[in-house]
Order: sequence, then structure tokens, then C-alpha cells
Amino acid sequence: MKKSVIFILALLVAFNINAQLDRSTPPKPGPAPKVNIGKAQTFELKNGLKVFVVENDKVPVVSYTLSLDIDPIVEGEKAGYSSIAGDLMGSGTSTRSKAQIDEAVDFIGATLNTSSKGMYASSLKKHSDELLNLMTDVLYNPSFPAEELEKAQKQMLTGLKSQKDDPKAIASNIKSVLRFGKDHPYGEILTEASVEAITVDDLKSYYNTYFRPNVAYLVIVGDISVKEAKKQAKKYFAQWESKEVPTYKYEFPAGFETPKVVVANKDGSTQSTISLSYNVDLKPGHPDAIKARVMNSILGGGSFSARLFQNLREDKAFTYGAYSSLSSDELVGTFNAGANVRTSVTDSAFTEIIYEMERMRTELVEEANLQLVKNSLTGSFSRSLEDPATVARFALNIEKYNLPADYYETYLEKLNAVSTADIKAMAEKYLTPDNALILAVGDVPNMRASLKKFAKDGKVEMYDFYGNMVKAMPLPADLTAEKVINKYIKAIGGTEAIAAVDNYILEGTMNVQGMPLSMKMYSRRPNHQCVETYMQGNLVSKQVFNGEAGKVVSPMGEQKIEGEMLENMKAESVMFPETQYAELGYQLELLGADNVDGQDVVKLKVISPSGKEQTVFYSRNTGLKVKEVSTSPQGTMASTYTEYAEVNGIKFPKKMSQAVGPQSFDITFESIKVNEDIDASKFDI
Amino acid sequence: MKNRFLLLAFSLFLAGIGAVSAQSNKISFEEYDLDNGLHVILHQDKSTPIVTVSVMYHVGSKNENPERTGFAHFFEHLMFEGTQNIPRGEYSNFVERAGGTLNANTSNDRTYYYEILPSNQLELGLWLESERMLHAKVDSIGIQTQKKVVIEEKKQTVDSRPYGTLFQETMKRAFKVHPYRWTVIGDPDHIRAAKDEEFQQFYKEFYVPNNAALVIAGDIEIESAKELINKYFAEIPKGNKDIYRPTMVEPDLGGEVRDTIFDNIQLPLIVQAYRTPAMGTDDYYALDMLSTLLSGGQSSRLYKSLVDEQQKALEAGSFAMPFQDPSVALAYALPNMGVDCADLEAAIDVEVSKVREELISEKEFQKLRNQFENSFVKSNVKLASRAENLATNYVYFDNTNLINTELDKYMAVTREDIKRVANKYLVEDNRVVLYYLPKSQQN
Repeated sequence: MKKSVIFILALLVAFNINAQLDRSTPPKPGPAPKVNIGKAQTFELKNGLKVFVVENDKVPVVSYTLSLDIDPIVEGEKAGYSSIAGDLMGSGTSTRSKAQIDEAVDFIGATLNTSSKGMYASSLKKHSDELLNLMTDVLYNPSFPAEELEKAQKQMLTGLKSQKDDPKAIASNIKSVLRFGKDHPYGEILTEASVEAITVDDLKSYYNTYFRPNVAYLVIVGDISVKEAKKQAKKYFAQWESKEVPTYKYEFPAGFETPKVVVANKDGSTQSTISLSYNVDLKPGHPDAIKARVMNSILGGGSFSARLFQNLREDKAFTYGAYSSLSSDELVGTFNAGANVRTSVTDSAFTEIIYEMERMRTELVEEANLQLVKNSLTGSFSRSLEDPATVARFALNIEKYNLPADYYETYLEKLNAVSTADIKAMAEKYLTPDNALILAVGDVPNMRASLKKFAKDGKVEMYDFYGNMVKAMPLPADLTAEKVINKYIKAIGGTEAIAAVDNYILEGTMNVQGMPLSMKMYSRRPNHQCVETYMQGNLVSKQVFNGEAGKVVSPMGEQKIEGEMLENMKAESVMFPETQYAELGYQLELLGADNVDGQDVVKLKVISPSGKEQTVFYSRNTGLKVKEVSTSPQGTMASTYTEYAEVNGIKFPKKMSQAVGPQSFDITFESIKVNEDIDASKFDI
Repeated sequence: MKNRFLLLAFSLFLAGIGAVSAQSNKISFEEYDLDNGLHVILHQDKSTPIVTVSVMYHVGSKNENPERTGFAHFFEHLMFEGTQNIPRGEYSNFVERAGGTLNANTSNDRTYYYEILPSNQLELGLWLESERMLHAKVDSIGIQTQKKVVIEEKKQTVDSRPYGTLFQETMKRAFKVHPYRWTVIGDPDHIRAAKDEEFQQFYKEFYVPNNAALVIAGDIEIESAKELINKYFAEIPKGNKDIYRPTMVEPDLGGEVRDTIFDNIQLPLIVQAYRTPAMGTDDYYALDMLSTLLSGGQSSRLYKSLVDEQQKALEAGSFAMPFQDPSVALAYALPNMGVDCADLEAAIDVEVSKVREELISEKEFQKLRNQFENSFVKSNVKLASRAENLATNYVYFDNTNLINTELDKYMAVTREDIKRVANKYLVEDNRVVLYYLPKSQQN
């Protein structure tokens, strides 16, 4: 009896809850929301400037985006000048210095950026006039100061230096050159020579040719009415002079009939940066664009559930992440799939990528898988609309690419309508591994042979940072590592001259993050060393090794060097260690021929007695050491040595440049002295 | 003669700028209470097809038992464990599968949870948050897991991070009575020692509709949103316990507190923390502007003078501490290599005494006002920030509309006010000064 009451009660309770609300399953989503994107109003000034106005009065901010609709240009021997011209537009006008522009922008809390393709300015509405004054001053009267150009060139050159050892940058250059050709604007790469060739006149000519209203769009977004916008546009932009702007047409670059397999060297690397890429003819707003994007998201978009990620990371543990991208472009779009993988699985990783691409082409994807990707794209699309810049970009795209006026408003509906059959069709059309450039940057000797199977003709070519093919330069059959070292010893002065050196002092200067530092290095036989660093004449740090003990002195106090660090210091303090490699217990291995900055070199692996490995490059012509590369947990460190000068019969490099990760700095030794009196206290511990 | 005229013209021009209405773009909202005491704030903005669902619980570390610090933050973790209907570990997956994002954070005064979803997923957000409020899993499996996570978090963010104990060391010296004397992360020993029942009691006391504000902002229809809110939240019972709210008033500091902390660091650091009035008071706004003038960012006076000009400091800045009750304004500086801490502190004091003795220039004042107006406007650009500002203004001040009027309070501050609060608050007797020094310098 009792039992049944409880039973009935339980039923009632259950019924009751159901009648109110079933909390046990998540509620279903409503119909896909209609996107309410602010309509853009357009008008044109007499000089041809097309103006778009997107009203958005949520906050009292107005932004002005000026965007040039010009064809990409081939910059040739001065590659990089248009980008510098764009950067430097805001670095001075005929009446304002860079500091004055910065201060004026800062005072009203505004933003003002310039680029080779336009400008962006934004501030509170009430500062609009002040802002437009500044913006148009920069637009009409840029002065391109020579010292600002010099600064920009220096920064670019520093960037280039660190890129040479960055596998991503190496891969990007090789892809540009091989897929587009050096005569296509997308195939151009920056070189030291091209950056150094840029002059102020190039910048002025770029500005005068392309910054013209008849090829420009001005997009005004924010708390402003069309009427106000018209008044402003006329007041500030009507006097901008129009002039015919040259246009350029380019052939669609010929792709690869069969896979092209290429490797590039990244010395000291334990990983390969791999990429499978090819050109795609997919223009923005093409009916395929949305479907193709969904297809790529399933294959290798950013999510955890994407197939490349699942296969290469979760299942095989080849890598921390594997991704693909499929981008549309007016000239040439790109498909790229890639990852950073352990050297030993370089070929297997390509095999898996190709397998996943084939699977997309041959099998229908699961409905749930598709739905997940749609949801995540819906979410990110919707959230992106919060940024008024997105709305402005949409308005511009509709005009530039001739899209239907409701292209973005119906974007989510189109996204939602994508079917599994569409995905397969897109895969068949856009996933074509047979036409790909298969590129691996890493430890070439340990992966090159395994990649032969991807090329129809079994050929694997090697390219360098500049996208030039590295020709095999056979080494003499009888060459040994010892012979290379002996040649080096002879090149710097010979055993006798070296033996006569008791000590030397090097004094140099360098620039670290804009701070000038000077250095004094004292070396004395057998292995005493003292390195002092000065900032504005004040000693800021000192590192000493006296043959047994070592220490570092800094304003934070004094620290004794111990353990592994002491061992390393001991090895590094040996004067001319090459003359004593055998006694000290170094191991040498001849790695082969290579090329450093256009110089033919021989490459050795040098292993110190404590087991530290280094790759060292010796010029085949002069025998001198030109580069050293070592890998540590902090990253790869590359040192290059140039401008050898003779002092007391010994050749010392006058310039040394070190790159660690993205940082690089140059040291110039202005004074080199041999066998001077060194105050013995320098080596006191 | 000519110059004086120019100067006059310039200040007139500046005054003209100031006269323009500070803010014209009102943020509209509607608010009401459910029978169970849940405060609901609705803000419609149909410009983007997204919706923010957020709940602010009026519980932060200041509501904790001094023997059980870290509870509020611990709950922020626990509240992702699941509910009666949401399996363990699945809470965030529901949001991510729907194409949304979510997160939570805890301060000394409140705990805040939010989801940003496509607007057709509003109901999902309401289901998730109502599940959390109605019957979250506060069980021993979740408690055990999160104890480990939180203790590890403290190790990473406080103990092994250089200067990680900065807030802990400052606040315990700045406060003797008020619960701001401990930090949000709390004491791991308290968390370790706490029994499951204590967590369950905490949940029953603070995670109740009458201690929370629900904000729905974005692409919503007001009427149907109300119905859905009713559907998911009305059945949640009102809490039947008294909610503990600390009422103690911290007495004056009664003289400078000065100390040295030896830590595993390379570079010394100086902290100056001046006691400040509560948020929302007139002095608070003036003092907030003053500390931005002194130490907010790279165009601040301390940065310009100490880092750029005198090169005595490597870095100088401040931490904003916008607390509901009286708090501190915290500025710090790291001496450059070879500069003595006392030397650097003297240079800081020179800058501080300048604001006590001299009115700031009209131009600098105008720039300061511009900075505040800009950051105020920008703080309301994103829907998610608007939702949080609405919630904060209600929970702290019972004045949701402050989102539309707070800037006026800043704009009402005069140059004289800034000088006045400098003299009232930025005085030696009202501050804690700490030197962080490398352990190697101890003894």
C-alpha cells in the first residue's frame, strides 16, 4: 500500500515537471537569425571619390577608412617600396613633424594609420574635424623625410636577417617564387638589395601615382548622418586632385602538372615546416566561396574536430597542430595545408594530408560534422559584425567585387543551406593534391630522400631563402672535416701566428632595441675571458672566467656560474679552440656543401666535449668561418662573421651578427688589439 | 602682447570643446524583478545577430569567512562542473557546439558568468544559466578536482610568478579590518581544509536569485525574452538564508606603512598604494583621474618623467582597483639598472608633490578629459562590455542607469578638485610603500 502511494506520487511529480519544463535536454535553436547589417548609403564626389556611409549611432565614434582600389604592382628591383611609402605617409607633412602628428592624435585620443593601400582614422565624433584636418594633411602633404626612410629600411633589413633562419619565412618566399614566378606581383620577395635600393623619390612617385580620388573609396562608419557625411566629404576631400592611374593585367600563373617536391635547409632543426599548396581560381563572392569555406573548415579549419587536426595530432601525434586554408582572391587564390612535424615523420605527414584530402573528395561528410562547422562559422560571423570595421568592409566588398546587395545579409542563410553533397563537390573541385607544391623546410639530409615518392619523376629540388635553386656542388672526394679546420687555421694566420698570441682585446658597439651598447672583450691564454657591457659609458654587466671559476656581475648583484653553464663557459673561453680540437676532445663531422648569402661553403657538425652541437660554415673560397648555428631550448641562434681584418698577422671578423628567434643584433668591432698589457685584475673572481 | 592674445584664444577654444555635450548616445534598457528576487536587465540591440546571457552574483572574496578565503573564486571553477541535467565537463561544450563563447571571472565584490551566443540560441543560454542557479553539481568529485586546479592556479599565478604576491602583500597592510585584506585567490590551506558541506552551504547562501542580476543583451525581442526568462528562472526558489554582507568600515591607516619583501626576482620594484574612497563617490572620480594623470600608461607624468626623461625607471604604471568599498590606488615602478630604490622613490614623490602643489595645466587637463571620454565610450562599444557594465552598476549601486551618466561625474571634476584630492589622499600618512627586492639582497 505504502509503496504504491509513493509510486503514484513519483509519477505525479514526474508528470508535473514535464508539464512545466523539460530541463533534461538543451533547448533547440530558433531559426537562423537574419543579419541586420547597417545599409550603406553611397555618393560620389566630382573628383571620382566614392563615399560610403554606414550609420551606427551606438557610440559617439566616427571612423574614416580610405581604401585604394588599384591593381597590385610589380616592384622589381625595389621590392618593398610601396609598403614603405604607405607606412611613412604619417611620418611627417610639409607643416608637421612626426612627433607633432603623434601628439595631436594622442591629444584627442584618436587613431590614425596609413598603408600603401589607404588610411584609417577614428575618433570621438566631436573630434572629427580635428581628425580630418590631420588625416587630409597626411593625405595631401606627406613629406617622406629621408631619416624616416632610413629608419624604416634599417627595420626591414633587421627583419630580413632574422627571417633567414625562420622556416616559415623561408617557406613563404619559396612558395611565392615557385607558384607565381618572380614577374608576378605575388611572386616578389624582399631582399637586402631591393630594400637598400629604395629612395625617397620612389615613395613620392608611388604616392603621386596611386593616391588619387578616382581609384579610392572613403567609408565613413559611425554616429553620423548621410547629410553630415556629405558635408564633411566635400569640405575635406573635394580638393583632392584626380589623375589617371595605371592599371595592370596579369596572366593566371601556370600551375604544376604533377606534384613539385621541394626542400629547403634550416640548420639545426629537429622539425620540418611542411606545406602543401597550390593556386586556386576562386574570386571573392563567387557562388562557391561559402561552400568551399565550409569544406575547408571540415578538412583543416581551426577547430579541434577538424580532420587534419584529428589525424595528425590526436591520432598520430606528429605535431601540435595541423591546419589548412582556402582563400579567395581577385587575382589568384590559395589552398595551403601545413604543420610543423618531427623530422622523421615529414613524409608520413604529407601522406596523411593527401589521404584526408582524397577522403574529402570521395566520401560524403557526416551531417553532424557539417552542422558543427556551420554553427561555429555562424557564431564567429555574427560576433565579427559587432566591429563597425567589419560592416565597412562588407559594404566595400559588395562594391569592389560586384556582389549582390544582400550578399552579407543572407550570408547565414546561404551558409545554412550548404549540404553534404555540396561539400563533396567543392572538395572535388578545389582539393587537387596532384597539382601541389610539396615543400618541407628543415633538416634536409634527414628527410629529402623520403620525399622522392611524392614526385612523379622522383626529383626533389632544393631552394634557398630567396627562392633560388641550390645547385649541388660536389665536394672533393678526399675532403675531410680536419682538412676544413686546417684550411681555416691557415686562413686566419697559421699556427705560428696564432701561437704568438697571448691575449687580445676587442672593443665594439651594438644596438639592442634602440639602445646603443658598447662591449669590451678581454681574452688571455689559456682560457681567461672577461666581457664587459656598457650603456652610456656606465658598466652595466660583466662576465668573467678565470680558467676555473666564472661569475656574472650585474646591478642586481653578483652570481657565481656553476654546473652546465660553467662547463659551457669553460669551453667558450678557450682561445682559438680550432687549434686544439683533438686535445680538447671535440668531434667533427663533414656535412656537405651549402650556400650562405651567395657564398659557397662547406658545412661541419662540431660537437663539444660536453656534447653541445654546432653547425659551422666555412667559405670554400677563403677558408674563413662565415656562420655558426646552434640550437638551445630558447631557440636557434645563428651568428654570421664578415669583414675579416688582419691584426698582428691574425684575421679577426670586424662584424658579427647574431640572430636569436625574432631578435637580431649586429656588433661592429672598432678596435682590435693583440698582445697588449691587460690588467690582471680583469680576470679576478 | 600678441602671445597673450593667442593664449587666451587657445583656452577659449578648449573651453568650447568641453562645452559640447559629453555623451548623447543613450544606452536603453528595461529592468524588473521576478518574484524570487532575481533582478532582470534587458538591453535590446538588434544590430548584430548575437545575444549575451550573463549573471552577476553579488558575492566576491569580501563575503568570505576569514577562515575560508578563496571560496568565491573556487565557485567560479566549480560552476563549470555541470548540473543535474548537464553531465560533468559538458557545460562549455554546449556553448561551443552552438557557435558561442563563454567565460567567468571573480573579483573582491562579485562573480560574473557570461555566454555570447548567436541570437537564435538565447534559450540555450537561459537553460545553462538557470541550471547553474537551480541545481549546480556541488559534489565531492567536482570539489576534489577543482581543489587541485585552484591550488595549482595559485602556485602559477601568485607563488611562482615574479611579484605575484604584490596584491596580497599590499592589501594585507592597507587593510586591518575590512575583508579586502585578503585576495580573491585566497589561502590554499582554507580551500584544502574546507568540507563538502561548507561548499554546499555557500552555494545555498549566495547562488540564489535574490543575490543575482541576469542581463540579456543583444538581438532579442523584449516580450518573448521575458517569457523565456520566466520559463527558466521563475521556478528557482528564493534563497532562505541571510546573505552575509560585510559592513565593517576600515579605520584610517593612521600613518605610513613601509616594508620590504624579498622575492625570487631579478629587478627590484617599488609599490605605492594610497587608500582611496569608495567607487561612486565624488572624490573617487577626481582621484581616478588623478591616478591616470600620474601613472596611467605611457603618456602619464610618472612614465614621462621617470622612464623617458630621467631614465631612472625601466617601467612605471598603475593597477586600477575599482572596488565597491573604499580601496587603494596602486602605482609601481621598476628602477633602471644601477638606480637605487630610495632614489627612484624620491623622484616619484617629487611628481606626487607637484600635483599637490600646482594646478595641472588647462591643456593637460583637457587631454585627461579626452582620455576619460574615449575610454568611457570604448568601454561600451562591445555588447559584452555593455552587459557587464549594466550588471555592475545595478549590483554595486542599484543604479543601472549609471551607464548613461557616469561620464558626467568625470566631466564635472575640475582642475581644483584634482589638486584637492591630491592633498587629501596622496599624503604619506595614507599610504603603504613596499620595496620588492631580490632574495640575494636579503641579510
